[in-house]
Amino acid sequence: MSGQDHAVHETVTGIDNRKFGMWILIASECFLFGTLIANYLINKARGLVGPTPQQIYDIDITTLSTFDLLMSSVAMVLALHGCQTRDIKKFRFWTGVVVLGGLIFLGFQYYEFSHFLGLGLGLTTNIFGSSFYLLTGCHGAHVFFGVLWLSSILITSYAKGEEWFPSMPLEVAGLYWHFVDVVWIIIFTVVYLFVFV
Amino acid sequence: MAKNLPSTGIVSWLTTVDHKRIGILYGVTALFFLLFGGAEAIFMRTQLALPNNTFLDAGTYNGLVTLHGTTMIFLFVMPLSAAFFNYLTPLMIGAPDVAFPRMNALSYWIFLFGGLLLNFSFVVGLLPDGGWFNYANLTGPKYSPSHAIDFWVLGVQVVGLASLIAAINFFVTIMNMRCKGMTLLKMPIFIWTTLVTQVLLILALPVITVALMMMTFDRSFGTGFFDPGAGGQVIMWQHLFWIFGHPEVYILILPAMGIVSEILPTFSRKPLFGYSVMVYSSCAIGFLGFAVWAHHMFTTGLGPWAQALFSAATMLIAVPTGVKIFNWVSTLWGGHIRFTTPMLFALSFIAMFTLGGLSGIMHSSPPIDYQHQDTYFVVAHFHYVLYGGAVMALFGGIFYWFPKITGRYMDEGMGKLQFWMYMIGFNLTFFPMHFLGLQGMPRRIFTYASDQGWNLWNLVASAGAYITAAGGVLFFINIFYSLKWGKKAPHDCWDGRTLEWTLSSPPPEYNFAVDPEVKALDDWWLRKWDKDGKRLHPEVQPEIDPSTKHLPNPSFWPMILAFGILLLACGPFFNAKGIALSLVGVLVMLIATYGWSFEEA
Amino acid sequence: MKNSGVFRSRGVSWLMHKLCFTLGSMLVTASAFGGNKAFDDGDYTVKATLSSPMNTIAGLTEWAQSINHVYGITSIVLVLVFFAVSIPLIYAIYKFRVSEDEDLINKKPPKQVHGNVVLEFAWTIVPVILLLFIAIPTWEGIFSRPVKPPEGALKIKVIGHQWWWEFQYPELGITTANEVHLPENTPVFFELSSADVIHSFWIPQFGGKKDVLPGADAVNQMFFTTPKLANPEKAGGEYYQGQCVELCGLSHALMRFEAVLHSKQEFDSWAKVHNQPPVIASELEKKGELLFAQCQVCHTISGTPSEDLEKQMLAMDPPAPKQGPNLTSFGDRRTLGAGTRKNTYENFAKWVREPQSIKQGATMTAFNLSDDDMQAIAAYLRFSTAKNY
Repeated sequence: MSGQDHAVHETVTGIDNRKFGMWILIASECFLFGTLIANYLINKARGLVGPTPQQIYDIDITTLSTFDLLMSSVAMVLALHGCQTRDIKKFRFWTGVVVLGGLIFLGFQYYEFSHFLGLGLGLTTNIFGSSFYLLTGCHGAHVFFGVLWLSSILITSYAKGEEWFPSMPLEVAGLYWHFVDVVWIIIFTVVYLFVFV
Repeated sequence: MAKNLPSTGIVSWLTTVDHKRIGILYGVTALFFLLFGGAEAIFMRTQLALPNNTFLDAGTYNGLVTLHGTTMIFLFVMPLSAAFFNYLTPLMIGAPDVAFPRMNALSYWIFLFGGLLLNFSFVVGLLPDGGWFNYANLTGPKYSPSHAIDFWVLGVQVVGLASLIAAINFFVTIMNMRCKGMTLLKMPIFIWTTLVTQVLLILALPVITVALMMMTFDRSFGTGFFDPGAGGQVIMWQHLFWIFGHPEVYILILPAMGIVSEILPTFSRKPLFGYSVMVYSSCAIGFLGFAVWAHHMFTTGLGPWAQALFSAATMLIAVPTGVKIFNWVSTLWGGHIRFTTPMLFALSFIAMFTLGGLSGIMHSSPPIDYQHQDTYFVVAHFHYVLYGGAVMALFGGIFYWFPKITGRYMDEGMGKLQFWMYMIGFNLTFFPMHFLGLQGMPRRIFTYASDQGWNLWNLVASAGAYITAAGGVLFFINIFYSLKWGKKAPHDCWDGRTLEWTLSSPPPEYNFAVDPEVKALDDWWLRKWDKDGKRLHPEVQPEIDPSTKHLPNPSFWPMILAFGILLLACGPFFNAKGIALSLVGVLVMLIATYGWSFEEA
Repeated sequence: MKNSGVFRSRGVSWLMHKLCFTLGSMLVTASAFGGNKAFDDGDYTVKATLSSPMNTIAGLTEWAQSINHVYGITSIVLVLVFFAVSIPLIYAIYKFRVSEDEDLINKKPPKQVHGNVVLEFAWTIVPVILLLFIAIPTWEGIFSRPVKPPEGALKIKVIGHQWWWEFQYPELGITTANEVHLPENTPVFFELSSADVIHSFWIPQFGGKKDVLPGADAVNQMFFTTPKLANPEKAGGEYYQGQCVELCGLSHALMRFEAVLHSKQEFDSWAKVHNQPPVIASELEKKGELLFAQCQVCHTISGTPSEDLEKQMLAMDPPAPKQGPNLTSFGDRRTLGAGTRKNTYENFAKWVREPQSIKQGATMTAFNLSDDDMQAIAAYLRFSTAKNY
């Protein structure tokens, strides 16, 4: 979480503690999302009533939001590059783009959820809905946390002035962001695309 | 704020980020919860001492069964292991602290709040009564409408988060912060078992996290993941629970194996026999631990191939485990065996764990399991593994490192008496349970009729439980006695082999004044002897002015952040209305995170 | 390094012994009185016996015997392994001990053996071989079990309820509870489902257990051939105990049942007369029959208006099955309250007046009947429903 926990010693592996910690967290998160996705796959056809996946998914909108999240990952790479090359404008601009990309994704998700609600698929309508909202909601919460994190870095940048280049914290946040993006690609494929196969 | 915090007194303990103090907090809290878990066991054994007993009613008994298992696993053995991870990992690998000292404090506070949340069920008189495995759909809103189960679901969720944070911390610490010269295969074996345990935690905890989340949604927000009436499947919970639950067993036993593997060489004055094989077998046990979960579910109607494969995988675990047992015996072979209290506990571990392991092999065979599943035979089996095994080893660890931690030896006389009371009491309680199981006595029954042929062994088991309980009381007396009057301990108080013995007892706040460097496994031991077996007197770590060492600053934020997590977890108690409470919790977490980030570490 | 092996705290140990015994006897004494007992109080004997009614190692069916066979082999292997570990362990502890008073600080350490490749290889391979002795009978045990019910097996639907058992014989049109009647030496096929939570169905002397799961797609099956009667001359069937073995809520401990083994002729005659309406032989029973009208919302007796009511309830949308056990053959049952108590007048009256005192959480309504009414309803249920077979 913090940027300064004990970076005093050289590490044995040469990998910064924070970065290493993030990799381990990601390993754990893989199992978290793996379980959620497995749960979704098991339950998607088990709804006793109400809308089925085929009836409600809107592949066009979701493709757009997927593209948006994918592009925010590109922006993340550029932001980190800006930070590492001490280019304050590039660092701030692209970090801002990442945050914006995340917000747009959350907007899409808000639209999608309310659209589904309108079609009669609530959290408790059927077990397909429950599994869908649990999985995508959990992912959305991860995106939300990433947006908070990156916007905090952005705000801190303005507070600390133009000589502050938090390469390592930004790299760790970037790792997280890319992971959340990759998870979405898997969710998009498994949840949205496989329905139409 | 941080810099002005005191270094002694209560506030210093609330704000500490020192791994040694956090280790002590973990240990003390675990022993505190042991009192709960032990009392629960005594109440249950009293109820079962006689047939048709009315000491407890059905509801209380079911609650105590649930809380005894949950407390002993999540609030006693795991945190006591974590106490050793915390205290010893940096000392054994020659590091100044763990990788993330404040996250270390955070995980302790989360654990404490989670444990208190679970036990708050006593205060409101709603004991969770679904068993430690909390099988759906009995624990769903329809069949458990009160908030009792919520205490279990949310409490375990919080405690699990604490373990996850700690696991990431220790993994990074071990991989990144070893002293010069300590390659992976020169690490003390305890560090290896710690490392494997963290891997298991990192990969197994998210599964139970999701399962608990689904359970929370079922109970508080009206979904039907485990409700057959809504298309859900009760068996889904069992799979998710045991995908976590079986690695959990190794999470409990591996640290104990590590402790025993440290104690035996010290008191045999010989290196651990087959160190590298011990390392590989720990890894193998951890790996196989993920492939055997369905052996808890042989009677749920698995197909023949699933049964055959899961039973084969389960039997395979006996191989690395057997290797470990023979290596321990070989470590003793030809040594100079000293019967100190820690050694007695470690030796009993080998015997008791072997017995538990052998009955475990029986259950790996589905046909046998058809008869033994959910009988007292299983109760006997896992108590031999987790109590005769893990807990005995942990007690050995306490006696072994107590002088290092406090600067005073624990009293050997009381220690040995406790050991014999435990050995006798334990075996009196649990060996007859094999017979009860073969006689068909089911688990988790609050009473039984007098004509079932179960009377004698139940009475014997209860008598044994009282002897054990008395031994437990003696242990606490010993701790308080030894803290004040125990014999003073020097640096190397047991003639040890690893780096912590180069430090004063207790070690200084900064750990190592001079960054240690090792050339071999058991480096400290090797430095004590020349080639001809003549005693040398190598330098122990010097003591210096602590202000010359950079130490992480104490902080209130971990505790505040943990409190935010507690509030977040308490939200679902109040169903949809509780979202407000959860949001307050998130707000507290955010404030704490920002406070934390901008505070000087 | 010398550590005090002196038994410094003899006083403390004495105190602990005293405390232990006092505490123990206090708790046991305190527990021996008060409260409601779940079961009939039999003679309390503290005797070691393996002849429990739930004995798992004296299988009577082929299935149970095959399990005992695997168990026997496994036990032999494991006892050998136990000795292979414990003899060297005890020998090493004894042989290589040193006195606590010995000065080990300056004593030359023993040979620092780090391992032995041959030995370690050996105790990796040998366990694998030993495990095969367990694994092969295990797999044989798994794959020799039929996966489909045998031809012509008697089908019995077992439905678990909190906390009693319902048994339906679809081919015979019989529904009963807490007593499952079986013909000897006949293949039977149990279809296990639950009306509420997970239970587990187990008659230890007939074989293993299987979980009884809720959910239409979670129906488990169990098949075996019933054993022969031990004493074919004796009429009235032989009783074998079973019990729920999965924690299923408050009164899980009180969810027992009995399997009653009959000769084939006896079973046929039981099946034939089971559904006959009650025979009213006295005024008291007549009065009881009228009183039963209060019970029929939850209970059914074949050949009475309660049966029609059940049909109507099942025809509703959604169907409303009756909440209580079918009482058609209640008069023949040895026990009430799912194997909890003997079927005596006293227990019957207690069950009707205060079911919670026998089984906490039972859904049975408490009826505070007068003694006259109680005798009437008891006479009706305990005698009129009894069948002659």
